[in-house]
Amino acid sequence: MGPLYPQLLLNPQYNLLIGALIGVGFGFLLEASGFTNTRKLAGIFYGYDATVIKVFFTAALTALIGLFFLHYMGWIDITLTFYPKTFWIPTLIGGAIMGLGFIIGGFCPGTSLSAAASGKIDGIVFIIGVLLGIFGFIFTYDTAWEALRKSGKMGRVNIADWIGMKEGLFIFLFTVIAIITFIVFQKWQDSWKRKMDQKDVDDLGI
Amino acid sequence: MKRREILIMALLLVGSFITIFLPNVKPHKHIIGAKQLLYEVNKQGRYVNTDAVAKMIMESDPSLLLIDIRSPKEYAKYTIDGAINIPFDKILDKANVDYFNQDVYTTVLFSNGTSLADQAWLTLRSYDYKGNKVMKGGLNQWYKTIINPQKPADDHLTAEAKQAYLFRKGAQIYFTGATPVSSAAPTSKPKASGKPIVKRKKKEVSGGCG
Repeated sequence: MGPLYPQLLLNPQYNLLIGALIGVGFGFLLEASGFTNTRKLAGIFYGYDATVIKVFFTAALTALIGLFFLHYMGWIDITLTFYPKTFWIPTLIGGAIMGLGFIIGGFCPGTSLSAAASGKIDGIVFIIGVLLGIFGFIFTYDTAWEALRKSGKMGRVNIADWIGMKEGLFIFLFTVIAIITFIVFQKWQDSWKRKMDQKDVDDLGI
Repeated sequence: MKRREILIMALLLVGSFITIFLPNVKPHKHIIGAKQLLYEVNKQGRYVNTDAVAKMIMESDPSLLLIDIRSPKEYAKYTIDGAINIPFDKILDKANVDYFNQDVYTTVLFSNGTSLADQAWLTLRSYDYKGNKVMKGGLNQWYKTIINPQKPADDHLTAEAKQAYLFRKGAQIYFTGATPVSSAAPTSKPKASGKPIVKRKKKEVSGGCG
């Protein structure tokens, strides 16, 4: 059956409409789960809140396992879904910058938009910073970044293929690692909360 | 840890455990809709004429893959040099998928006329196999135009028609061995062609996340 657009099962005109509807749902859930609060988001780095890692790992695993099953049920063809090419050097550097930005600013790009939409000034300021970064990159791309952007090219890499492992086994091991991570971060969070004064916890507003 | 979190983790663990027993992901067979099929049938883009096929053979075009879809008996009697035989009723066999569902070769299907090759093309296209072509007129047309080309009437002969005739005469010499034949069909044995090692088709999909 799916994916719908590459197989012309749905007119690409509806792309934007469906994107908007999914965006509404995504924004609603980010706000509802407290993901527009910088203190909650940055909590993962300080150890007092493990929600971020739980949510993102759960989302990734649900998508991974769900897509795998849907593929075998014939509902979606994973091979036709978007599959980015890997450039490991810029990805590594970009990831480090993103991590630093996350801990300093308290948002990732998506959550900053949700925060700005709900009127949080730190969200708005974060977006201004994001735009400055984007335009700064665009205007210096040819001179400063092009070589870096194209370095470490690996093509389309399926990580299970790359390490020579069966895809299903890789998914299982990845799930086990994620669950161990959940438990470790939960214990870390519990021990931090025990150390903190109740007043400090209340001040975080999470 | 909350009970809800334990339940989610257990579900993920069970789900991922089941995936161990599933085989690696392979692309699906896609069946395209009747509307799309009608559009492509009308478009006529699947046809190549005998001149184009002859030219590709003479130029040793490495991308050409000729497939004779008639019965093995007919194939043994006469075929175009270099063609392989996949009888019509075997085109969907698993062993033959790599011939029809690939993007490395231009596969040209032919039979005695156009109809059988056209039916084969339609069947393959309904499985979303791309890149297959039909030799218009089949072997009958091949014989008329390449093996035994008729000289067009001299009056009102356009430059293109003259050019085409000259090409066909050249092709006739190439395919029949220097001496033009009159009526007897040649009985040259088909050249066996090895099964090509082809890559599975891959589709470029655009998109991304932010």
